[in-house]
Amino acid sequence: MNVLAQSVPFILALFEHSFLRYALLTGLIMGGITPLIGAFVVIRRLSFIADTLSHFSLAGLSIGLFLINTLGYTFISDPLYLAIIASIIGALIIEILRGYYENYKEISMPIVMSLGTALSALFISLSGGFNTSIYNFLFGSILTVGDKYLAVMSTTAILVLALVFFYYRKLVIISFDESHARLLGIKVGRFQFVSTLILALVVSLSIATVGVLLVSSLMIIPVAAAMKIGKSFKNTIFIAVLFSELSVIGGLWLSYDLNIASGATIVLVNIFILFVVVIIKHIYTNQLRSKRTTKEDVGNV
Amino acid sequence: MRITVDNLTFGYDYRTVLKEISFKMNSGDFLAIIGDNGSGKSTLVKCMLGINKVAPSQIFLDDVDVTNYKQFLNIGYVPQIFDDFNYEFPITVNEIIHSSIMRDISQDEILELLDKMGILELQNENINTLSGGQLQRVFIVRSLINQPKLLILDEPTVGVDRKNVENFYKTINSLNAEGISVILITHNIRESNANFSHVLSLHNGEGIIKEVPRGDEA
Ligand SMILES: Nc1ncnc2c1ncn2[C@@H]1O[C@H](COP(=O)(O)OP(=O)(O)OP(=O)(O)O)[C@@H](O)[C@H]1O
Ligand SMILES: [Mg+2]
Repeated sequence: MNVLAQSVPFILALFEHSFLRYALLTGLIMGGITPLIGAFVVIRRLSFIADTLSHFSLAGLSIGLFLINTLGYTFISDPLYLAIIASIIGALIIEILRGYYENYKEISMPIVMSLGTALSALFISLSGGFNTSIYNFLFGSILTVGDKYLAVMSTTAILVLALVFFYYRKLVIISFDESHARLLGIKVGRFQFVSTLILALVVSLSIATVGVLLVSSLMIIPVAAAMKIGKSFKNTIFIAVLFSELSVIGGLWLSYDLNIASGATIVLVNIFILFVVVIIKHIYTNQLRSKRTTKEDVGNV
Repeated sequence: MRITVDNLTFGYDYRTVLKEISFKMNSGDFLAIIGDNGSGKSTLVKCMLGINKVAPSQIFLDDVDVTNYKQFLNIGYVPQIFDDFNYEFPITVNEIIHSSIMRDISQDEILELLDKMGILELQNENINTLSGGQLQRVFIVRSLINQPKLLILDEPTVGVDRKNVENFYKTINSLNAEGISVILITHNIRESNANFSHVLSLHNGEGIIKEVPRGDEA
């Protein structure tokens, strides 16, 4: 992202350039809600759903580009709106297919994913093949987000936070043990439907920050790292959000200093944190184990 | 809770697992279900719980067809432990118990139940640090937390050590004495000190129910 000659340090640049502030703010909001949703999604073993929806959003974006660039329609100001709509349509299709394949719920994902990918390929080629906007959709362009996008993002974030806050207990039971949730009289289907819709919204929005190909990593990697050390579910969510925010800040900073792509850097920092956690955890458990064995040996003498 | 199972036939895909099973249970009855692996014991209770979808007019809970039944909160259920369970879920014992509470309950009452099952000191442990038997006891507490009228226990004491098995059956027997109906799936009908009133044995999809004389001591 060669927008800047990085003559000033990141912190000072934040004061100087509003687009950097927007980028950081959007990143932080995104970084806060993706692992929050991810915690419920990953744990239900539906990680694939985020990927599936992001490919459907890409189809929406490509159709948007085609309508705007090739056909010259002007009624859609921003293809991002079409991404949101497409993502929600994808979510609906997944839900419908899931009903059809009761025992093979995961099968709906590859079907929807291939549909999304095929449509994207088709409309990308129809609108003149690869160009910068397509590149941005695929890999994100957090440095170009404006206040309009920030407003949509914040509204979504508030919605997500409110839902998680009010329905936390029910969401935990559903994620942990779906059939028990049903016995308790919780409307599991309804919750599932709403959460898939919200997931669709967040996935399509995060496209502008890290891009289609990296969206799911924002939801999954921080949670995967946090699961290794979280003491409780709440604690795991908290740590996941913390890791996620750290990688947004670290990623933006690094990408500014090294003049490299920001979406990719954020994801790489995320993965770096995951590795560090796994390694430390490994060393720690080994130490614990060897301590335990020594104790037992002493006991046996 | 009163239960009527009337000519229940159920299968997965093309294979019939249960053939024309019929029996009745009154409030306060204690039914043991026995049978070989794969004989359909878990399948039968899942039908009663609405987890397996059965055709109408085959199962009635308090005279309401299970296909229309809404009050499953009245049933405490301990599933067979290795049934598609998410062992990696980062959750504590307390989080499991507290998220399942659907009534007014005092903290003391919760602690008492945890204590009865011998897992009081495990409250804040993550479930992936628990042994199979300890985890099973967490599920037992969870099944009791909403004051059920019927308890369905699918091999609840697998992996639980002898002392806690005894405690467990003491608790179950006394709950049963208070009028709660119990259905217990077990492979060691003689070893447990559970105070059955009926035994249903499943074999080749068919079920035979027998009344058994109750012991005096719980
Ligand atoms: N969800 C399912 N889909 C398809 N077949 C199933 C399913 N659950 C159970 N079965 C089959 O139904 C039969 C009865 O299974 P069930 O679990 O009810 O037996 P069980 O009596 O509880 O056995 P165990 O003593 O091993 O617990 C078995 O042959 C099993 O393979
Ligand atoms: Mg079974």
